[in-house]
Amino acid sequence: MGLMDQVELPQPVKYVFNWGRKYSLWCFNFGLACCAIEFIAASTSRHDFIRHGVIPFAHGPRQADLLVVSGTLTDKMAPAVKRLYEEMAEPKYVISFGSCANCGGPYWDSYSVTKGVDQIIPVDVYVPGCPPRPEALLDGIIALQHRIQNESLKDRIAGRRLDPVTLGADAPLALEGSSS
Amino acid sequence: MTDVLARRDRALTPEETEELLRDRLGDGVQRSVLEFGVFTVWIAQEAWVAAARACRDEPLLAYDLFDNAFGVDAREEGFDYVAILYSTSTGNRIVLRTRCEGGREAPVCPSMVEVYRGADWMERETWDMFGIDFPGHPSVSPRILTVENFEGWPLRKDFHLASRAAKPWPGVAEPKEMDDEGNIIEREKRIGDAPGPYELDKVMGEQAKLANPLPEPPAVTEEGEEVTATAQSADLASDSGKVLAGEQERGLEEEQKLRHDADVELAGDEAEREPTTGEQASDEANQGGSAIAAAEAAKKADDRRRTQAEARAKKAAERAAADESGDDPAGPDDPEGDA
Repeated sequence: MGLMDQVELPQPVKYVFNWGRKYSLWCFNFGLACCAIEFIAASTSRHDFIRHGVIPFAHGPRQADLLVVSGTLTDKMAPAVKRLYEEMAEPKYVISFGSCANCGGPYWDSYSVTKGVDQIIPVDVYVPGCPPRPEALLDGIIALQHRIQNESLKDRIAGRRLDPVTLGADAPLALEGSSS
Repeated sequence: MTDVLARRDRALTPEETEELLRDRLGDGVQRSVLEFGVFTVWIAQEAWVAAARACRDEPLLAYDLFDNAFGVDAREEGFDYVAILYSTSTGNRIVLRTRCEGGREAPVCPSMVEVYRGADWMERETWDMFGIDFPGHPSVSPRILTVENFEGWPLRKDFHLASRAAKPWPGVAEPKEMDDEGNIIEREKRIGDAPGPYELDKVMGEQAKLANPLPEPPAVTEEGEEVTATAQSADLASDSGKVLAGEQERGLEEEQKLRHDADVELAGDEAEREPTTGEQASDEANQGGSAIAAAEAAKKADDRRRTQAEARAKKAAERAAADESGDDPAGPDDPEGDA
């Protein structure tokens, strides 16, 4: 990473650098249940999140910037998600897509379902819904891009993360990032 | 494997199948049930593997596909183990079912793996979920569906869900049967009854009684018309309501019209004559030709001047307020203006 993890970039450089990063999110889809179908719908021509610079063809976690956990995470699967997340290179981002990935969803009292992916890995954006529509994923991606645009890479590399965004629960998207 | 004599057009009926199995297994066949198109044969525990072997090797049966297997919680009576077999040559499907020995504490069922290799993982899963042990199975552990260090048998009806210890089940208690009058038939609590806090049955019983009251004899008027008290009162209420509402509405309308007329008059006057209010008043007075008319016109003009001054002052105050709140032209009405 060179200097970037030691000094704060000058504002203009930071702006251009983050602008470049936010429109090149190589995305690794961890599809676990029906939400993965909505993710696929978002990646195809109708909703087309590639126009937002999200590239859904990462060959593996090592080539990915963004992990989208879409679906029901079970205790049996949790170590695999943890390992794949740790294989990703920093800076890396996580979108928790759907109620199951957010909190266990309808399986809140199940004997085998993890109560939210945030129990094992840090999440940047929560997209609620059961399943959420593809538009909700687009909204989540835009929220994440706002976040990337305004973040300090030095902080990110040092592991200082902002609080996660929950779509629909936090401030309106127009205010997210454009304040400060 | 022996020669297969079974053919689709010569498939045995359930009765013939049971007869054949009884012939081969004797008392091993306990009973059989044919319901919903599913033929179930209850097998004694001792004859379990022999029954599977007979089903596979008997030329007229030829159940060559191990389709499915699972456990069933039979509450106080322990556990059942069910295996479904399919014959690709006859197209028949048979369900073998046995009651496990050992009750709820240590249920045990002989393994079918030596007959059907496909039973291997089915039995492992059944052990995983119900804790039924399978002597003769290569190894039922480690767990394959739950995590390796999982404790308990999750599909048993008396399994306690950890999440519900922290947050109780929000639903209703186990529904109970009701007789025709809405009285609840009491029975003892069984293993696996839903532990909900809400007694749905009692509430539903009350509601059922309210919803279906005993029919009252209808009242009869002098003309012989049948009029119920509720209908009469409803008619009265709706009529009186209409009258009142109409009157109120009309009053409101008139008031609004008056106010509107006054506004229009004022605006028109303002546009017509800004500097010449006095002149106009005197003109009016001349035309009227009488002192009373002149006095009235003067008074009117005075009134107009006063209202105009008031309106102007109000506008000025508003403008000042807008200036103070910032140079936002949209003003405080625009919700996104300050964002």
